[in-house]
Amino acid sequence: MKTYSCEFLVAGGGVGGLMASIAAAKKGVDVIVAEKADTRRSGSGANGNDHYHCYIPACHGDDMGRVRREIGASFDAGPWVDASMTDVWINRSYEIIRMWEDMGINMRPTGEYRFEGHGMPGFQLYNLKFDGKNQKPALTAEAKKQGARILNRVVINDLLTNEEGRIIGAVGVDVNEEEPELVVFQAKAVLLATGFVSRMYPSITPAYMFNTPCCPATTGSGQAMAYRAGARLVNMDMLNGHAGPKYFARGGKGTWIGISTDIHGKPFTPYGDKPSRATGDVTADVWPSCYHDRMKAGQGPTYMNCTETSPEDLDYMLHEAMVSEGIDSITDYTEQRGIDLSKEMVEFGTYPIMMGQRGIECDEHARTSVEGLYAAGNCVGNVNGSLAGAAAFGLVAGEDVAEYVKTVEQEAVAGHPLVKEKEALCRMLMDRKGGAHWKEALSTLQNLMNEYAGIDIQNENMLKAGYTYVQQLKADCLKELGCENSHELMRTLEVFDMMDLAEPIFFCCENRKETRGPHVRSDYAFTNVLLNNKFQTIVKDQSGKVHMDFRMKH
Amino acid sequence: MPPIINDKKCVKCGCCAEICPLDVLYLDKKAPEKKLVVRYPDECWHCRACEKDCPKGAITMRYPLSHYMLHYKPEKGGASQ
Repeated sequence: MKTYSCEFLVAGGGVGGLMASIAAAKKGVDVIVAEKADTRRSGSGANGNDHYHCYIPACHGDDMGRVRREIGASFDAGPWVDASMTDVWINRSYEIIRMWEDMGINMRPTGEYRFEGHGMPGFQLYNLKFDGKNQKPALTAEAKKQGARILNRVVINDLLTNEEGRIIGAVGVDVNEEEPELVVFQAKAVLLATGFVSRMYPSITPAYMFNTPCCPATTGSGQAMAYRAGARLVNMDMLNGHAGPKYFARGGKGTWIGISTDIHGKPFTPYGDKPSRATGDVTADVWPSCYHDRMKAGQGPTYMNCTETSPEDLDYMLHEAMVSEGIDSITDYTEQRGIDLSKEMVEFGTYPIMMGQRGIECDEHARTSVEGLYAAGNCVGNVNGSLAGAAAFGLVAGEDVAEYVKTVEQEAVAGHPLVKEKEALCRMLMDRKGGAHWKEALSTLQNLMNEYAGIDIQNENMLKAGYTYVQQLKADCLKELGCENSHELMRTLEVFDMMDLAEPIFFCCENRKETRGPHVRSDYAFTNVLLNNKFQTIVKDQSGKVHMDFRMKH
Repeated sequence: MPPIINDKKCVKCGCCAEICPLDVLYLDKKAPEKKLVVRYPDECWHCRACEKDCPKGAITMRYPLSHYMLHYKPEKGGASQ
């Protein structure tokens, strides 16, 4: 067992985590970033991004009402974000763009600020077209320069709290060597920045679990840790997914320069009938389930159609934009298989649920409901902003932590009951030779989530039964799963986190006794107007009692 | 097996194994001769990080048939037809 002491522990070295570490370290805070992979190429921004959703006063004017309205209407968050949170990332966006330029990330590939993609016809454009292919190495270098320590291949698995429920550290596993080693952190504050829940529901190709649109290493561990530590989660009943090339799951739909059409090349939304490099096609942003919905309604298949895109724009899309966005696997694939996008359309699909921007409830300072616990990025449940949201709330968290750590003392973590519990669990899993494999368990969990808490239809009986089955599965997993090495232990602990996260999903789905958006109930087919503009929250207190509530959106 | 490593070019520096976001690649330092293994091929995200960061250009990507990109030629050839 290894022990580290720091003031601020960051769990997850993606864009949010690294921005938090930079902001806090700059203010003299002693920071450690614990990352499951390697911060230079980890998380959903591992290989890049090409759109930075932002507000630049010189480009967008001073009418904030218009800016908020237009950003809100054309963004794939839907209604499940607090406007007060959206304001935070909008207002910090230009400052971060300048910071990133100073770090060597090319925010102006053409020499000036240019906006492209995710655009609604008639609206101003808010997505800054940048070249993010080196964003993770650049952020990593800056974090180190500011004095943050980075521990790669160290997976944080649980939060340590004192008797009052305040954060005092965390426990994780070092998976660098074949034999895992338990790692205990003493820390005054912890940031959870662990991303999506990519593998809780079956992939679009169930036999290949890692075929997911965003990084499959993001498995909801931050949300699960927060829930276990008594933090409030929000919007866990609003299941959502991404869209893109049907069986080749890949995010970055805004990078495509084409239009969504039917098999005859006919558009089906009013957002444009000609491919436009300026706006892209906003259809999948505002209606990401359209591909699934159309198939279900017998209107499929539906395509991304680039056959009328100019040769210059097509070349730019494949060889510049997709490289900047880090999705040039699409380019490589089409070239290897000889698919000519000027002649052929690519079928798009709605991917299975990955709970993006559903999870930990935060305030405008990135604080959760647990003292000393912060969250940023896609594991936060009441804000979107994707890249821009992750960067801004990372920055905000780092700044707030710098003040918070001055107000509390370190507490001893040695002998914490959760450390002993985690050590015993890991030892049991590693010692159980010939045990069941984590993929068996995840396959069953995915089936249960899909069929009993899925996106098509739910009812109370299905939700109650599904929850019971997951608890049965977890009990059997504790008795049967075994790990050969640290890699398998990492994957197995991810499965346990996803099984824990099933609880707030089942409970919140059952407790929302109405039909609304993606939440479709056969036993409550109506939409309850009393729940308009209300978000559902869930929290588990220290005695294990679960409390659910509906609060006004703010 | 998604990442294909060209043994003639690979110098076993381990860079790909270090940066792989999914821990797919593994550098066996204990083997008599250092050995680079594609250990968990079905956990590959096909993100090409290994291919891009390899200092010797020794890696290419093979896309499995499971990840089939469905494509179709519109009858009339164009979006506005």
